[in-house]
Amino acid sequence: MPKTFTRKKIFVVALVIIAAFVGLFARLSYLMLVRSDYYYQKAQALHERERSIKAKRGVIYDRNGVEMAGNKPVCSVSVIHSQVTNEDEVVKQLCRVLNLDEEWVRKKVTTRSMREKIKSNVEKETADQLRELGLDGVMIDEDYKRYYPYNTLASKVLGFTGADNQGIVGLEVAYEDVLEGTPGSILTLTDANGVEIPNEAEGRVEPIAGKNLYISIDVNIQKYAEQAATKVLKAKQAKRVSVILMNPQNGEIYAMVNVPEYNLNEPYTLVSVEDLYVGSTEETQENTDEKTDETKQQNMTEQEKQDALNGMWRNFCINDTYEPGSTFKIVTATAALEEGVVRVDDTFSCPGFRIVEDRRIRCHKVGGHGAETFRQGIMNSCNPVFIDVGARVGVDNMYKNYRKLGLFEKTGIDLPGEASSIMHKQEDVGAVELATMSFGQSFQITPLQLLRAASAVVNGGTLVTPHFGMYATDEDGKKVDTFAYEEKANAIQKSTSDTMKELLEAVVAEGSGSKGQVAGYRVGGKTATSEKFPRGNGKYISSFLGFVPANNPQIIGIIMIDEPVGIYYGGTIAAPVMSEMYQNILPYIGIEADYTDTGEKTKE
Amino acid sequence: MANRRPREVERPTRKRSNKTKKKSDFFDYSLLFIVLFLVAFGLVMVYSTSSYTAELKTGSSAYYLKRQGLFAVMGIAAMLGVSKMDYHWWKRVSLLMMYAIIALLILVLIVGKASNGSVRWIQLGPVQFQPSEAAKVVIVLYTAHVATIRAARIGDLKILFRVVAFPMAVVALIAVENLSTGIICAAMVAIIVFVTSPKIKQFFAMGGILVGFMTIFLLTQSYRMDRIKIWLHPEKYEKGYQTMQALYAIGSGGIFGKGLGQSIQKLGFIPESHNDMIFSVICEELGLFGAACVIGLFIILVWRCVMIAMSAPDLYGALIVVGVTTHIAVQVLINVAVVTNTIPPTGVPLPFISYGGTAIFGLLIEMGLVLSVARQIRVTKEY
Repeated sequence: MPKTFTRKKIFVVALVIIAAFVGLFARLSYLMLVRSDYYYQKAQALHERERSIKAKRGVIYDRNGVEMAGNKPVCSVSVIHSQVTNEDEVVKQLCRVLNLDEEWVRKKVTTRSMREKIKSNVEKETADQLRELGLDGVMIDEDYKRYYPYNTLASKVLGFTGADNQGIVGLEVAYEDVLEGTPGSILTLTDANGVEIPNEAEGRVEPIAGKNLYISIDVNIQKYAEQAATKVLKAKQAKRVSVILMNPQNGEIYAMVNVPEYNLNEPYTLVSVEDLYVGSTEETQENTDEKTDETKQQNMTEQEKQDALNGMWRNFCINDTYEPGSTFKIVTATAALEEGVVRVDDTFSCPGFRIVEDRRIRCHKVGGHGAETFRQGIMNSCNPVFIDVGARVGVDNMYKNYRKLGLFEKTGIDLPGEASSIMHKQEDVGAVELATMSFGQSFQITPLQLLRAASAVVNGGTLVTPHFGMYATDEDGKKVDTFAYEEKANAIQKSTSDTMKELLEAVVAEGSGSKGQVAGYRVGGKTATSEKFPRGNGKYISSFLGFVPANNPQIIGIIMIDEPVGIYYGGTIAAPVMSEMYQNILPYIGIEADYTDTGEKTKE
Repeated sequence: MANRRPREVERPTRKRSNKTKKKSDFFDYSLLFIVLFLVAFGLVMVYSTSSYTAELKTGSSAYYLKRQGLFAVMGIAAMLGVSKMDYHWWKRVSLLMMYAIIALLILVLIVGKASNGSVRWIQLGPVQFQPSEAAKVVIVLYTAHVATIRAARIGDLKILFRVVAFPMAVVALIAVENLSTGIICAAMVAIIVFVTSPKIKQFFAMGGILVGFMTIFLLTQSYRMDRIKIWLHPEKYEKGYQTMQALYAIGSGGIFGKGLGQSIQKLGFIPESHNDMIFSVICEELGLFGAACVIGLFIILVWRCVMIAMSAPDLYGALIVVGVTTHIAVQVLINVAVVTNTIPPTGVPLPFISYGGTAIFGLLIEMGLVLSVARQIRVTKEY
């Protein structure tokens, strides 16, 4: 036995040690009870990784529920090294199925402790093929890619989306808030290298799909319009043909065409107009043309290519302005009637020109129309008549009526990038400017602004807001949003509207717009041939604006043929296209024929 | 001269103990059980902490478990063998072992400097050997032996210094490379001579001087001061990473922990979590409750050893047990204190539990010594 003092000392040492243990345990308790939350949260922040789940973007339907922009399920393939059991097999199959370079794939597969993305936007069928092989360590994630079943249809209206499914142009960006879903998320735990730990409890927040958008476009009408526009584009070797078809009563747009359209599924592939001429009878040098075209594209710098793409995506109907020409006489006539400065039967004389101050302004008929009434003046689209009428209205009243018809404001259409009209300052307008403005020259507006003004003229005086978006539904098809648009009633008097309808019907029935007639229907309208700047180049925009039925318009349309080759008169080349479109469309939308006795009229 | 006198004292002690052995065949099964339980628990925790990183690094999740298991089995066999021996036999070889270990430590310093400056290992064929771990056993046996011889006059400072001369040389050799192991060894020597000596005041005086020297030492070496800065604000320093990760693990354990095997921090966040920081993973997986159980086991172990020391058949036996107990207790205290950032960070493994072959082998041999002392307690007479 050790001595007593030794035993005492041992005992004391033991007590000191145990006291130290108790002290440490107290420290531990403090850390694990009091500070637990603090350290737990810090640790959790270190471990958690949030992986987002893309939400399905809302579908765009036409007015009848036909899908115009949808989602195609695609997959992304990735590899987790630590879960791969048969490396060689994985590399071999990935190369075979996805058609990839072996060395590259092997490098990805052998990268340790990381989730390596092999390929995204893989077609579902291809991904299913991989899935069936059941390779360990190969992960296939579902994703969505925007898909446009009609490829080119209404491309400049719909627009397309970018890599993250976000709208870039067109309705896709205008209705981003509606179409865009709320992404969900998966919370996973990871180790120090960021590798997800399998079988760890995951927090999952489900994504909310975007709302479906129903637009006023009718796929069939759009198709008719596009076909007719493409046909005339080819026939006239035009640079571009644009068409808008709209309900003048409420502003719903049935079709908006700008050919050449581009393929929405390949929005970065440049489309050249010349390609469309292929097959048309007048084409002789197509091969050489194509070659120069290709080399031209290859030689483009990035900036030039981007500019070309931006040009291709442009919607002429709203993004660009033009000199409307004679179709604008509708506005001048309306202003004159509103101000009561002219009556339908007032007589004018046309010697083939009019001298305004120091300028001699010609009529398109060199010999002159002679003596004619205001009604005949419109039917003949006689410039001297409108110069006189414009002078009677005066600058201030003219501008007042422009304002009433919305020519100083944007139409408010639900598409981005709408252009503003380019007008003379009111105080700068002299007699010459007033005269040229009276027949639609020396200022610029967008085609849609003109169509909107004309709609107000023929619908009884209500200034509508042209639009596409009608309502939105949720995933289950329940209507959740109905879009309302501003309407300004009584922009002009009802009586003016009635007179104008009658006058414009006469233009088509007996005047310069006779080629715009549609068998069995009462059509009202106005033609225009505007010479492009610089004058004298022989470049024109031929257009026709027409509505049916003339007494109670249900559809109004405008067609613009940009730089036609050969005959360029709007009445000759634009009006028949509109007529052809109406022949197909009117029965389709259920507008009944006004008369059946068509024998005589169809002969023309 | 010194060799003659020990033998004289030695003889009677040995005869007496031989007699005792015949009277009773006491074996401390409860101590054995505690040790086996700690070793088994250690293996479970080594597997839990190392399996994920072992899988990534070596392709086998049981890589560390197998190695540690092998050493544990060998160690247990050695422990049982040592426990059957008469502990007085070690007196004969303690001086020899002292020379050997000094030689080895000098060798490791030379070899270490030749390679990269911080090598603490010696390669013995296929086995790596850590001399500092073996040194702990040698220090216990040697100091206990010499202190027993000088027990009567140890109150004399000259004698005291003569007793601690060799052990302190070993401590110095170890401290060059590994300060914390040096401190542990110094503590073992100090406690052995403290309980042998009838005096108290001189120890406090020496302790005071030692603390003074330590302070100067720390202040003059800037890299040690850095450690103290890291200790005070681990979140501000890059080197405090390990400490912060350990605290995250401990803090996220809560009362009952995440469950065995559920630690996230061991997935590479705590570097080498099966080594010195294993206690933090125990806290994370088993919570305060599990940590309390582990600490409780160590307290029982210490208490059991203290009982054996106090009722040991002779001073030599008592001092061996005191040395071993000091070793284990101080090491556990330093380890837990480091993991909980109670003291500046230093690398000390948790006895029986942390991964490390030489360490567990050495500890089990020490426990064999304790068991062999326990076997010679005269149970029948005293209790």
